[in-house]
Amino acid sequence: MKCRLFAAALCALPVLPVATTAFAQNCELKIGAMGPMSGGAAQWGLAMNSAAELAAAEANQEGGVKMGGKTCKVTVVPYDSKYTADGAAAGSNALAAQDIHLIIGPVGSPEATGIKPVAARNEQVAWNAAYAKNALEPKFPLMFHIAPGPAAWADAVIKRAKQVFPMKSVALIAPNDQGGTDIASVDAEAYKANGITTTEEYYQRGTTNFAPIVTRILAARPDVVDTASSPPGDAGVIVKQLRLAGFTGAIGRLGGPGTDEIIRVSGGLDVLKDFYWFETIPTGDPKVQAIDDEYKKLLGKDPVGGTAVWADLPAARMTLKAVSIAGTDDAKAVAAALRTLPVEDPNIGKGYWGGKKQFGIAQELQFPFGIGIIKDGKNLGVERQEPKPE
Amino acid sequence: MRKQIRLLGWTELVALLLLATGFVVPMYTRSVLVYSVLNQIFVGVIAAESVWIMLRMNLLSFATPAFMAIGGYTVAIAGQHDITDAFAMTAAAFILPALVAIPLGALVLRLRGTYFVLVTFVLSQIMQLLLFETPGLTGGSNGIAGVPPVTLLGTEMGSNRLVLQFACGLAILATLITGLLTRWFRQHFAAIEENEILAESLGLVVWRYKAMGFVVAAGIAGLAGYSLVNMLLTAHPSSFDSSTAVDFIAYTIIGGRLSILGPVLGTGALVYATNLFGTHGQYAQGLYGVLILVVVLAARGGIVGTIAAVWRRVS
Amino acid sequence: MAEFLQAAIIGISLGAQYALLALGFTLIFGILGVVNFSHGGFYMLGGYVAYSCVAGLGLPYPLAVIVAVLATAALGWVFELFLLERLVDDHLATLMLTLGLYLVISTGLLTIFGPLSMEFAFPVTGALHLGSIYVPRENLIVLVVCLAAIAALWLVLFRTDLGRGLRALANDRAVAMAQGLRPKLLFPLAFAIATGLAGLTGALVTPILSLSPGVGDPVLATSFLTVILGGLGSLEGAALAAFVVGIVEAFTSVYFGGSIGALVLFVLVLLLLAFRPTGLMGRTVRGA
Repeated sequence: MKCRLFAAALCALPVLPVATTAFAQNCELKIGAMGPMSGGAAQWGLAMNSAAELAAAEANQEGGVKMGGKTCKVTVVPYDSKYTADGAAAGSNALAAQDIHLIIGPVGSPEATGIKPVAARNEQVAWNAAYAKNALEPKFPLMFHIAPGPAAWADAVIKRAKQVFPMKSVALIAPNDQGGTDIASVDAEAYKANGITTTEEYYQRGTTNFAPIVTRILAARPDVVDTASSPPGDAGVIVKQLRLAGFTGAIGRLGGPGTDEIIRVSGGLDVLKDFYWFETIPTGDPKVQAIDDEYKKLLGKDPVGGTAVWADLPAARMTLKAVSIAGTDDAKAVAAALRTLPVEDPNIGKGYWGGKKQFGIAQELQFPFGIGIIKDGKNLGVERQEPKPE
Repeated sequence: MRKQIRLLGWTELVALLLLATGFVVPMYTRSVLVYSVLNQIFVGVIAAESVWIMLRMNLLSFATPAFMAIGGYTVAIAGQHDITDAFAMTAAAFILPALVAIPLGALVLRLRGTYFVLVTFVLSQIMQLLLFETPGLTGGSNGIAGVPPVTLLGTEMGSNRLVLQFACGLAILATLITGLLTRWFRQHFAAIEENEILAESLGLVVWRYKAMGFVVAAGIAGLAGYSLVNMLLTAHPSSFDSSTAVDFIAYTIIGGRLSILGPVLGTGALVYATNLFGTHGQYAQGLYGVLILVVVLAARGGIVGTIAAVWRRVS
Repeated sequence: MAEFLQAAIIGISLGAQYALLALGFTLIFGILGVVNFSHGGFYMLGGYVAYSCVAGLGLPYPLAVIVAVLATAALGWVFELFLLERLVDDHLATLMLTLGLYLVISTGLLTIFGPLSMEFAFPVTGALHLGSIYVPRENLIVLVVCLAAIAALWLVLFRTDLGRGLRALANDRAVAMAQGLRPKLLFPLAFAIATGLAGLTGALVTPILSLSPGVGDPVLATSFLTVILGGLGSLEGAALAAFVVGIVEAFTSVYFGGSIGALVLFVLVLLLLAFRPTGLMGRTVRGA
């Protein structure tokens, strides 16, 4: 009996993917959504998936995406790449096996490193959101970048923050892996360029209690502490413990999205007190916020992943638009069509193609971004910043 | 020794035969998924065999990723200096981790049971931190990207098919070494597994065989690291995270610890499952967990144990 | 000097948290011989149950903590009785079972509660300030609960018939069973006590730190480190080692930084085990 059950379970496994393809329509366009969908960074990968789902639902509402005379229904295949180089490489292959040439994702720097050579071999367009120093490379022309790293925006945020919170020294804190060091070190250079002395402090990913590191940081008596790209849950604990230790200076965050989560974890605006942060997109704009309502209307549930969904959406939308222009989902043709598309999104506004200066290849979406400020426990909202063409 | 020891038993031969089919597969299909899953299996099999060698002596090791890192980074660093010869690199990827394992073995092999488990776990954590703290040598948290493909007798193993076949060759080599070692010292390992203290009191120089096993297991793990770096063309710290040790242990236990077929079949089943479940996004980990629960509860002794039980009932 | 004292205070509060986790972990290992990979899962579950009680049902926090303990203990009891019990003598199989359970628990929590951190605050906040040194009030509460839990566990194990039975099973299962002790009754109970302790820790600590699926991952590594350092199956050893690990972590992180601090901690553990292969207070050794 036991054996039979086990055999039945094993036999059922290979049937799963077959069953889903058997009932598919005549013309179907499958796109991939990749990122960590389990573990500590799950929200970023799930946000990629939500963004891809929304773009697909929008296209399907119009009847589908036109490909060579036919109108195709768009479906999204997620892949959990687990925030590792191997996971992303395996994911690229697993998606290629389903004849998927367009991938929204992956997210982390290790994943971007892992997917680049493999996606090139598989001829897939991939949109990574990593802030890695080598997120794009001229030798990988099918790789696109969802949003610029700190090199593009850190200076503007620091200049604005200095007006509100005068500062002479800042301590940066981030995880000791690539997701931390690649951002904090660029942030630090930007602070220095603005005449602010910096110290960088790296903690081991998986640290849950930051009290000792907070003590270490405060021994140097910085005016400001910047949580850089620490995951929002970690950053919330850091803020809470900084305040508990009596730190009264401003706290910055020149990293990824997640301020709502930081407010929740740290214990509210009263605890946060003075805070400034970078937002990938102007989240204060009601038109941007309307994305969540649209998602709910079209898919009948709430999007997963917070404001990161908004930031990932334009890439998914533009990809589908490029498919209809190219009339095929062939990666090279779609990439060529993408390059000719103006950087524009109905919810977010106009932007530019960037990345030539930093990476030598202009395949990075530079949309309006946001600078958020909380002063004396009052949320002053997110100011919209227009990008400048390179 | 009373009787002549056979160099390889039929289980080893079956394992080798299974792996060798991987060599001909690329001639019949061009499916990327088949290539990708097979390549991951070849890497996983080598790592699982490293775990399996230690299990033969009743030692559960979490140190596999640490030694894989030494092997993998050796190849990556050599590649940066344009050293890509397959034979030299295979030797280096085996010997360097093995050399490092000698002093480490002297330190950790005094520990038994769960104490050994933890120390090996700590070793792989230490390796991860060492990678982060030595950016000059290992590229730190960014790792080393763009490792050149290996060259075998002047041919660059650059295409998907050649990469796969090379990985297959490494897996066969690792299986041969593992098979020879465990056959040759079969009775010694069995004695240690059964009752180490008794074996020692009967005159078996236990530490000598344990050290031998540990060093070879480290070398085998180094080969796994080599194969992994060769597949990704990247040496990245996230590939050698201490949590990956759990995967290799799962491959071995789910496959069954009875024979070398265990790590081979276990790796095949679980790598296939991982790739299948990956496209279920956030449910991937949960499905994997359910699979492990079902197999452990339904199939005692792992896949191999169950096959053996069924075989016995039939015959 | 202030920094030194501060590090010591932080070390003790870390130690209290680690001790609560390590006690349950070592209990399961000592009595059942099982390395419980799902310990972090029960920690998270405790946090989420307490959160649901407070945010969803509006229960007062102390009551929510009690519900969390009972819920995690109940799940532990069921898991031991129906799954683990069948293979309890196979150390590798039980290791895999608890690993599978952990993956299922964390996926379940991710699916139900989503990936973002919850708004879950400890009811008591603020710190006592003594000059430049501060002691968070919430940490004092955790310390008190931790000491109470150690005392309660000690009383149960050393002053009751149940405890005598459990210790007998831990010492020599065969002899204990020959004397009429029934592992079928006692094992699920021991497992439930241990998972209840993990749930208690989760319910207490996640509102102080943060609560999201994934906070259970580091729990295993910490418990592992603490229990081995203390000596497997030894309650006193685990408690002592928890404070040693907490204090060493605090000092190395304060003086060397988070990344090198962790490296120093691991190397110290490695060296200590090399010279004392059975931990600080361990005696017996089991096969893995």
